[in-house]
Amino acid sequence: MRTYIRLIFTTLTLWLAASSSLSAAEPRATLVEAMLADNDARKIELITSLAGEVDESIKPLLIAWREDGLYLYEPSGATPVPVQLTGEKDADDARAAVRVDTGAPLVDAEGKPVHLVAGDLNAVEHTSMLRRAMKGVLDLIDIGSPDAKKRLQAIQTIGFAQETDKIPAFQKRLAIEENSKVRRALREAIAVTQLKDPSDAVKLAAVKELKELHSLSSYDLIRTAMREADAAKSTELATEAKAALVAIDNHKSNINFFGTLFRGLSLGSILLIVAIGLAITFGLMGVINMAHGEMIAIGAYTTYLVENIFGAGITIPFFGFSLAIPGMNTTGAFYQTYFLFALPLSFLTAAVVGIGLERSIIRFLYRRPLESLLATWGVSLLLQQGLKLMFGSNNVQVSSPSYLSGNWTVNDIIFGWNRVFVIGFAGLIVFGVWLILTKTPLGLLIRSVMQNRGMASCMGVRTERVNMLTFGLGSGLAGLAGAFISQIGNVGPSLGQNYIVDCFMTVVVGGVGNLAGTIYSALGIGLVDQSLQQILLNPVLGKILVLVAIILFLQWRPSGLFVTRSRNLDD
Amino acid sequence: MFKVTQLMTAGALALGTMIGSARAADTVKVGVLHSLSGTMAISETSLRDVLLFTFDEINAKGGVLGKKIEPVVVDGASNWPLFAEKAKQLLEEDKVAVTFGCWTSVSRKSVLPVYEKNNGLLFYPVQYEGQEESKNVFYTAEAVNQQATPAIDYLLEQGYTKFYLIGTDYVYPQTTNLVLLEYLLSKKVPIENIGGGFKKDESGKIISAGKYTPFGHTDYQQIVSEIKQFSAGGKTAVVSTLNGDTNVPFFKEYAAAGLTAEIAPVVSFSISEDEFRGLPAKQLVGQLGCWTYFQSIKSDANKEFVKNFQKWLKTTTVPGIVKEGRVTCSPMVLSYDGVYLWKAAVEKAGSFDVDAVRAALQSGLSFDGPGGKVTTQKNMHLTKNVFIGETTAKGQFKILKEFKDVYGEPWLLGKFKAE
Repeated sequence: MRTYIRLIFTTLTLWLAASSSLSAAEPRATLVEAMLADNDARKIELITSLAGEVDESIKPLLIAWREDGLYLYEPSGATPVPVQLTGEKDADDARAAVRVDTGAPLVDAEGKPVHLVAGDLNAVEHTSMLRRAMKGVLDLIDIGSPDAKKRLQAIQTIGFAQETDKIPAFQKRLAIEENSKVRRALREAIAVTQLKDPSDAVKLAAVKELKELHSLSSYDLIRTAMREADAAKSTELATEAKAALVAIDNHKSNINFFGTLFRGLSLGSILLIVAIGLAITFGLMGVINMAHGEMIAIGAYTTYLVENIFGAGITIPFFGFSLAIPGMNTTGAFYQTYFLFALPLSFLTAAVVGIGLERSIIRFLYRRPLESLLATWGVSLLLQQGLKLMFGSNNVQVSSPSYLSGNWTVNDIIFGWNRVFVIGFAGLIVFGVWLILTKTPLGLLIRSVMQNRGMASCMGVRTERVNMLTFGLGSGLAGLAGAFISQIGNVGPSLGQNYIVDCFMTVVVGGVGNLAGTIYSALGIGLVDQSLQQILLNPVLGKILVLVAIILFLQWRPSGLFVTRSRNLDD
Repeated sequence: MFKVTQLMTAGALALGTMIGSARAADTVKVGVLHSLSGTMAISETSLRDVLLFTFDEINAKGGVLGKKIEPVVVDGASNWPLFAEKAKQLLEEDKVAVTFGCWTSVSRKSVLPVYEKNNGLLFYPVQYEGQEESKNVFYTAEAVNQQATPAIDYLLEQGYTKFYLIGTDYVYPQTTNLVLLEYLLSKKVPIENIGGGFKKDESGKIISAGKYTPFGHTDYQQIVSEIKQFSAGGKTAVVSTLNGDTNVPFFKEYAAAGLTAEIAPVVSFSISEDEFRGLPAKQLVGQLGCWTYFQSIKSDANKEFVKNFQKWLKTTTVPGIVKEGRVTCSPMVLSYDGVYLWKAAVEKAGSFDVDAVRAALQSGLSFDGPGGKVTTQKNMHLTKNVFIGETTAKGQFKILKEFKDVYGEPWLLGKFKAE
């Protein structure tokens, strides 16, 4: 009898042990099944089935899958095994492989751990549909995530699915949530879901809540609720919904107002950084430099080169020779710093090219503006062709570092980091130029030569040299502009052509020979352009109107915003 | 030493032309009319390359009706009046049997009267807006129902309910978006769910749908923030007919605003594998494309085609040709298919005469091209397969869905009626 009991007891224990270990392995097994399933519908079904499992180990695996971090190990003849590579790279670039299904190291027939090279393996495939399913699963795990940003996103995604059974989970979280943004999202999610409630009273409360939150994303849902209420003749609800829509619309126009201000400022800053170099060479020196745009392009290509040197290197066909520049193969955070190195280098490269241009051509043409226009136009064509020969006629890819590609959203207004950066950058450049011109001996010389060349020369100033350095400064600033433009637009041989008109426009409107005028006109044009786009809802018409406005403005004030008063007898 | 080589090359070239003209009777002249300089050169040179490759391939197998193809390559230089002049030169001086060429709609419209007057034959390979059917043009191009409407079908099937239309301001995007507007309304998508704005004439009829930017536009802040607001409620897709390199600032701004393919995917009709060479592929991952061919198609015919083209690039002596990093894309394959269809038509007609060749083309010829079987139609368009793909970090498309044998229908405006 006792043996029987013992036997039953042992069996039971074993069974329990087995089942518990089974349940631990189960989500992983489901995940592997999903990876190997042959149709997307089944894959999605399997992935979604993971949603109920509270298994933290699934989360990193799903994330790795989404980011191409899981690989298929395919021994010949056998079924493929999804693996994850962990640990440090060894001498052959290989890393230890861990089986996705068990979490144990992958071993070969002799039981030795297998090391694999990521490049030799195929990543486990995924499509946008699968990624969306994975995101759903991750979102549910994320409601309790310690990272507020993740909680926020998860709550928004789940909230807008309007599933009433999720409300208790939201309310539970709301009771303990401390982050104000997440609290707002939770209230929004609850209210949005309540719009699906059969009771009018609940709906009414929900609409009131959404009105108070002026929630942009629930606009469509409130509108639907309003129509349903209209159809069901529940007047009170319909009126409240209409009021909520009006409140949200008002909020929208507020956002748009401040958004436009910010965008105008950032567009103005871009105009300012591309034009400030020209304001020095054209405005102060009186040289009509049609090759200014190409100086910008040189800065942009320098950034491209620096990026490639930080990466895998680059080969340039250099007028018949092939010039191979080795790369440093950096990755991660250090790679991202390439832009900080590119900034001074693009300034230097453009400045050197500018000085070369000044020495070889422009210095012969100081008193002949029309000839300098023609000659520099020729130089611009030459430089464009040169860039084409070196880098090809296609645009090249410059990837933005991560610190320039995010955004910062305050009260539904988006502040893109690249745009915030450009405003700061423009500010720094203006400050730098002001420092050089007013606080350095060079600045003093530049100003004296600009005001009265003959007198300065008589006082012993080497005007030739000052001219050269001033031109170099203007060109270098164009190079800096190019480095920045590579982060927001195209880098191609004709890059300069796209900006040269904007540059001249900005400088002429500001008043030739006046740096402050350039600043005001850049910011002014930027603001007017963005406001017109906002009002007319049409960028094409907006652009035309800006040009017309500039023409009219120049009719009224032919010498621009600020007129430079000179003591020169010629003027 | 350098001079000697130069002299020798020049001599060889001269000799080559002499032999060429001596053999003139054994060849048939075929025109290639693309922009090899100017803004469109980036895209159109690839088409010249693939055409020359196709001619070499056909010549190696004995040519057409026993005659070798002799290409006459002219440069339209992205200049539309020049296109008409060059077309005139091809037809009246060189007396070409057929021309393969044009990319932009405006270049096609410019050469159209020339081909109609001289009763020439032009094969046109690039997706276009429809609303045209000339007996002197064979459109291997995708019609709107072979690219834009299948993409919308796919998005609707995926549960998207809001659509934002955006494009470059010229005839192809404007017409396509008007067709799409009618199509969406006929699919019961409410008009307030279609974003981008509308323009109406005095009678209240919508004459333009969607948001348009000029060529070379660089500032997409305003539009992206509008898309962000429009898509706040979820289930939104952006339908883009933006052309050329304006896509770079657009997608950079799109990513900076925190929009991704998972939040609101962009389906583009003008970005092919070839355009990816200048785009930041990483920021485009997961965005959608729709064409009648992708390089990633896993058929034997396609693998063969890609391999042969790459091999040809290595050995070719065409001056200035780009040999590194080349890919194949839909307009290239439709050019390739066009040459083979023309060859089949000539062989069926037994003559190079345009009227006879046209009749043969209209009789329904088939060709198994790299993108699958294509069949000519009576209305001078092609029946072919349509593919939806999503972009990968390597600048290729991963195929998500295929529509088999879609009939090319050029006249779509006013065809879809909302009930």
